[in-house]
Amino acid sequence: MTTWRVIDTGLRSAAQNIALNRALLEARQQDASPSTLRFLAFEPCALLGYHQSAEQELNLDYCQKQGISVQRRITGGGAIYFDETQLGWELYLHKRDLCSADMSAISRRICEAAARGISSLGVDAQFRPRNDIEVAGRKISGTGGAFDGDALMYQGTLLIQFDVEKMLRVLRIPAEKLSDKAIASARERVANLADLLGEVPSLVRVKAALSNAFAEEFGVSFAAGELTETEQTLYADALAEIDHPDWVNLHERPAADRPTYEAAQKFPGGLLRVSVAFDRAQSRIKQVWFSGDLFLSPRRTLADLEAVLRDSLAASLEQTVSDFFAARAVDMLTLTPADFVTVLQLAIVQSEPAETRVTAP
Amino acid sequence: MATVRGCNLPDDLFYNIDNNVWARREADGTLTIGMTAYACSLAGEIVSYTPKKVGKEIEQNKSVCTVESGKWVGPVKAPVTGEILATNPDVAGKPGTINADPYGSGWLVKMKPSNWDADSSGLVTGGAVAAGFETKMGADGFGGC
Repeated sequence: MTTWRVIDTGLRSAAQNIALNRALLEARQQDASPSTLRFLAFEPCALLGYHQSAEQELNLDYCQKQGISVQRRITGGGAIYFDETQLGWELYLHKRDLCSADMSAISRRICEAAARGISSLGVDAQFRPRNDIEVAGRKISGTGGAFDGDALMYQGTLLIQFDVEKMLRVLRIPAEKLSDKAIASARERVANLADLLGEVPSLVRVKAALSNAFAEEFGVSFAAGELTETEQTLYADALAEIDHPDWVNLHERPAADRPTYEAAQKFPGGLLRVSVAFDRAQSRIKQVWFSGDLFLSPRRTLADLEAVLRDSLAASLEQTVSDFFAARAVDMLTLTPADFVTVLQLAIVQSEPAETRVTAP
Repeated sequence: MATVRGCNLPDDLFYNIDNNVWARREADGTLTIGMTAYACSLAGEIVSYTPKKVGKEIEQNKSVCTVESGKWVGPVKAPVTGEILATNPDVAGKPGTINADPYGSGWLVKMKPSNWDADSSGLVTGGAVAAGFETKMGADGFGGC
């Protein structure tokens, strides 16, 4: 049986952890390291997706006051808050380990394996396309990847005792999202392993659960290892580049180009409110938060719809929403899919200059 | 035009098959560079594009731009060594253009090759394109565009 390496790099600063991402991916690309599972932990930090801008995504004043470092990942996706209450896991693989080069198929395979590992701890974790792992509709792990030639790195979080309120304060979101009700609503969107299990699980147990699941999925065994000399050298070079303002500020865009629009509308089926973080340059919905006085069953529907709308094009909104409801059975009294489209359009129309707007009837 | 497993691969272009990129030699000797339809199919919808700066010298097999799709980030690698002459503002505004028109308006960068004659010997064009990509797709376990 093929043996892969497992390493645990412990608690580190964000810069060190991201530099290790770069170094281990490069080493894998050079075939200077074996395929590897890495566990890691972060000192408090805000991590941008590779293409994001700190000004657009983060409450930088809050981060500075709280001693929260700001870093840029080498993987895609959105900004997150990471601290000691979460465990990081990462796979460094060669494409020949996977029998597929299709990126979404690779995400799915790794996430489904991770979900089985998390489930073995005594919860029902599932992959939620495109990149989340959830328990009953509540996100317990977010993931993303980076590739370089024939090597790839796929990484995920695992929430153990995560502080949702702190995350909301770190991310640049509208002030009203910090009301007690909004914080409670955000808490409903995420799941902590400790809450689900009724106790804080030992990290040894959690890591074993993930290792076993990946070993089974890929038909390999894991042997504990250390960083190689090549990796140490690549790490020193990567750290010099990444622990630097030029890397953190690689993409600088004004906060005004990524506004958040609010809208609310009363429908026969209930009051529906929405906040939309919007990328004006690309006319793309970055993130959506629904709230309001609604009846929906299953309750996870709103969180699932939010997940589907993330990073979607405004021009495809009707299709995205209609495909979403066509694919599942949802009981929402007299509320209709069209009502969701209407309220989202009311929010997004604010991105257009006032004189060109077509007012909703 | 070669079509391999449903992917269009125009046979008048020069391909670096490992990097899954194409180069078109323009009348003035400059190159236009882009991702293949096959690379686009593997990536899914591209949502971000960050090219290297105009004027920068890029070695063969080094990154000319970084793209993101489905939370995956990675480089698109130069088929030959050369200087970046232009990047594509239309793609910057709408990265999905790369998927929609990979050999046309979805081009990534224009380059001035440093040594086309030497570097291009490893590129594949004409009748060899279909077989080269068929082999790659087989190795990648690819179902089809």
